[in-house]
Amino acid sequence: MSDAGALHSDAASRGIAEDLARASDALENMQASGELAPVVTVAPASPNVPPALFGAGGPMLKRFDESTVASRKGSNAPSPPPSVKGIGKKVAKPDYSEQKIVVAMVGLPARGKSYLSNKLMIYLRWLEYDVKVFNVGQLRRTKARQKAQKLGVKENHTAEFFSHSNAQATQSRDKLAEESLEMLIQWLKEGGNVGIHDATNSTKDRRAKIEARLAKEKGMTLIFLESFCDDPATIAANVELKVSQGDPDYKDMSPDEARKDFLRRISEYEKVYETITEPHLSYLRIKNVGEEVTMSRINGYLSSRIAFYLMNLHIRPRNIFFSRHGESQYNVEGKIGGDSLLSSRGMQYAKALPALITDNIGEKPLTVWTSTLKRTIQTAQYLPYTKLTWKSLDELDAGVCDGMTYEEIEQAYPDDYANRDEDKFNYRYRGGESYRDVVVRLEPVIMELERQENILIIGHQAILRCLYAYFHHLPQTDLPYIKIPLHTVIKLTPKAYGCDEERYTLPINAVDTHRPKPKTAKQPLTHSTTQRQYFVEEEIKPLA
Amino acid sequence: MVAPLYTTDSGLLFHAGKILVLTIGLPARGKTHVSRSLERYLRWMGVKTQVVSLGDYRRKTLGGAQKLPADYFHLGEKSPETIALRKKVSDGCEQQIWDFFKTGQVVIYDANNGTRAARQKLAERFHNKGIHVILLESVCDNKEIIEANIRSVKISSPDYRGWDPDKAVEDYYTRIRDHEEYYDPVEEKDWPYIRIINVGEKIMVNNIKGYLQSRIVFFLMNIHNRPRTIYFARSGQSLIEHSYKADSDLSPAGWEYAERLKDFVIERRAKNLAQRGLGTGDQRLVIWTSTRRRAHHTAWPFLQAAASVSSSNLATPSATPGHATPISVIPHHGLDGGKLLPPTLASSLSIPTPLIHTSTSTPTPNNLNIKVIEKPQMSEINPGIWDGLTPDQARKYYPQDWERFVKDPYSFRAPRAESYHDLSVRIEPLLIELEREKEDLLIIGHASVIRCLLAYLIGLPASEIPAIEIARGDLLEVVPASYGVHCKAFHFWDGPGRRVDESLAGSGGSGVTGEGVIGEGGGIAEGVNGVGIGIGEQKDPNNFYENYAEDTKGKRTNAVTREPEASIGALGVV
Repeated sequence: MSDAGALHSDAASRGIAEDLARASDALENMQASGELAPVVTVAPASPNVPPALFGAGGPMLKRFDESTVASRKGSNAPSPPPSVKGIGKKVAKPDYSEQKIVVAMVGLPARGKSYLSNKLMIYLRWLEYDVKVFNVGQLRRTKARQKAQKLGVKENHTAEFFSHSNAQATQSRDKLAEESLEMLIQWLKEGGNVGIHDATNSTKDRRAKIEARLAKEKGMTLIFLESFCDDPATIAANVELKVSQGDPDYKDMSPDEARKDFLRRISEYEKVYETITEPHLSYLRIKNVGEEVTMSRINGYLSSRIAFYLMNLHIRPRNIFFSRHGESQYNVEGKIGGDSLLSSRGMQYAKALPALITDNIGEKPLTVWTSTLKRTIQTAQYLPYTKLTWKSLDELDAGVCDGMTYEEIEQAYPDDYANRDEDKFNYRYRGGESYRDVVVRLEPVIMELERQENILIIGHQAILRCLYAYFHHLPQTDLPYIKIPLHTVIKLTPKAYGCDEERYTLPINAVDTHRPKPKTAKQPLTHSTTQRQYFVEEEIKPLA
Repeated sequence: MVAPLYTTDSGLLFHAGKILVLTIGLPARGKTHVSRSLERYLRWMGVKTQVVSLGDYRRKTLGGAQKLPADYFHLGEKSPETIALRKKVSDGCEQQIWDFFKTGQVVIYDANNGTRAARQKLAERFHNKGIHVILLESVCDNKEIIEANIRSVKISSPDYRGWDPDKAVEDYYTRIRDHEEYYDPVEEKDWPYIRIINVGEKIMVNNIKGYLQSRIVFFLMNIHNRPRTIYFARSGQSLIEHSYKADSDLSPAGWEYAERLKDFVIERRAKNLAQRGLGTGDQRLVIWTSTRRRAHHTAWPFLQAAASVSSSNLATPSATPGHATPISVIPHHGLDGGKLLPPTLASSLSIPTPLIHTSTSTPTPNNLNIKVIEKPQMSEINPGIWDGLTPDQARKYYPQDWERFVKDPYSFRAPRAESYHDLSVRIEPLLIELEREKEDLLIIGHASVIRCLLAYLIGLPASEIPAIEIARGDLLEVVPASYGVHCKAFHFWDGPGRRVDESLAGSGGSGVTGEGVIGEGGGIAEGVNGVGIGIGEQKDPNNFYENYAEDTKGKRTNAVTREPEASIGALGVV
């Protein structure tokens, strides 16, 4: 070595390595002679298993962190971000600010545009993109209401308003669509990632206008998403949904009248409708969701992910079942993580599970997914279905805290413990994961779930919280507090605008592993229905 | 989810049936690039895939272009002999496809398939046997891409061995023109098709159904063939090397390593860019690290350097002292000197601009455009209950598990650990991002992750992944090319955490590693053995994954060839 500085740091680090080796040997000897006394008493799972040397409950970590600060001084390096200490920290959200996409919907009324835009929004929001739907119909109603309040003039929004021979109405509708697009662009500029322009955009002319407008904006990508549907049953169901679920346009009409008017509105659109074929536009055309996809000029990472996601959707009826593993020995002891076996009550649950599932699903095919951990495989062992194990379904890795109880963590690292409670979603255990990390790892699982039909997932608390949040569209802040009790099967039935849910709790007692959100925070809403929510009018404030 | 997850009874994946991808396109439109990339990706997913190349087959059976009759590449009237020859070649290829389908799942038929009538007949023959046919057209209207393709790939083909380059290019253009006359672009709405325009610039898809097909599309949407370089380096040594959980910070040697890495990458990259007539500011350097401290702290000096270069560029001299933070400077070693300069521990206010070893002046704005991204998928392989144990301890406490690990280190999963297979599945989303990235990329990772990524890029079989040696102190430089990737390794640092190559260190000579072409013709360049690396005193005895890789040396050829090459000069060898 001709480099004096390197020599110095070299010697220092060799010193540390030797210290470590010595410490490790000593610990091994102590363990062998049974005199090992960790900072927090953690009973070894079996006498033949070595202690977790670097676990938060083990004897090494704290002492080691203290020595780290000293070792830094031997280095010539500039100071990096905060030093290693404790058992974890909050992690900032990744930077998505460069992503700016406008998804402009194309399609006749009642062709499932809202279904697609809704699914897309939920998926992307689950991945923490900032997504917003700009619904032109909503804007129209809001403006009409304001006009009615201010001037006492009631606009006619029956089918006549949607006729293309009605020049004044056409102009007024064009203006609304433009205004909605402006709001969308403004919102993207203020930091949004994906704005969905939910309108019929049914003519080439209208699409050309949108294209021309966005050509003026730098860094924004435009994708058209056409939902094409020629299945009469689907259309009829969509029409019924619109009529029966309180579309404000029809609140003063009888259902029959409303249906008639709505069908007339559709036929007005049909007269001028041009399916998307413009070769220079970037578009996705989805026929009868899941049947056929045409894609043109899609590029860019997020756009291709959007396309891939939409390609995998289907609307065949099916059920998704979630169940946690039966109560485990660690659950009984209040410990987190680990790979323990089921308790005797947990085994009872495993034995009772097949009857519950088969009664429910009957003759239909079902596939069971488990994690690679013993407690889920044990829980699934009596189920008479195909079983697959997924590494990606393993429980959130608690890193250095694995195998400890919450009390032990609180005792050993009080500050860190409070920190996690403050922002559970963003908190990453040292040497382990945060809820966000889990969401990233579960993304391929979601993709696969969307493609599959009947699936039963025997999973873990944190994993099922993430999956459940996706299906019920729950925000990240509430996600870590969703109640997924032991010995309960959750049955989800995807519907047009959400999931129906049933819960079956087996009468086998189990410990409660749910830790509520501390202090005053409001409890998350965990029930959901098929109620379509897109008529909610609170958000949109028209430009002055 | 990406495959190797499960297989079906038939041994095929995804219940997708068998698929024949017919490539369509004029010569030099990037068909081979697309075919090979797709083959690599599908194989990685565990799908039995094979490219059948008409050109390769013709050269193998008939020889190079000069041995062919003059009218061979003219689609007009031909002599009966030529027609017979052409038929012999296409029949031979077709037979290869049928043979592969006996056990395989996807065949990519890399040929021009330019006329509608011919491809219709071919497609029908396979369709009638229950094989899904997809047309994959590669359209290219960018003259630069075509020209670059001809110059870099076509004229180096055996067809033009011994030709004058310009003449060869001219001849090749004639060949293209003859094809153009009879070329029918894909408009067959009754077949599923994918049209790729300018290698990934745009893509059109018709009637694509099913998961495997949509995955193929998703992949093709993200590839490109713009020039770029992917660098790999290991993270610096950490205070507790062998613990996954402890997530410890860099050791002093690790910090020093990080500085050296930064200098070396900046220097190396400036040289590479200069060859392409670019300056370091012309292309962004994106750095991926894991979320582990040892990895993203290794990237820290890059951010420091970028901040300091830009502030020294922007700031007026009088303002400088207030702006910049004092930075200790690690020595720069000239590329030509071969000798390490003594360290300057000066509290200089900015980092000197990197030395660029070119005799001509380079058009270089020296600002560094650097972005660091932390990827949670890049965490090292999880050793589960073996965390913190030395190989001896693992063997002692878990003898049965250990035995199985040694027997099959790729698929064995210790309790609560990840196997290399699990790791491969975990990093799959990164592969797509890696394909898509257009900027230069530096991946600072853990050895296990680099092994998997490299195996994907090179196209190594999964079973070889655990044995790939990734030495700390080597910078791997991977340049995607048409048939595979070019891969070089540069040794830039020696110190704790790296095994010392005694033969090199002892001679005090060049520790420089050389260049080799990987993946040419679908395999590793043959006959090049890795440099035997002696057991140095600084071996880290605690990490059994590294030990495995090192101990298996000699069982197989090295993934990255390293032959001494004088022209690069001595770098950082102490």
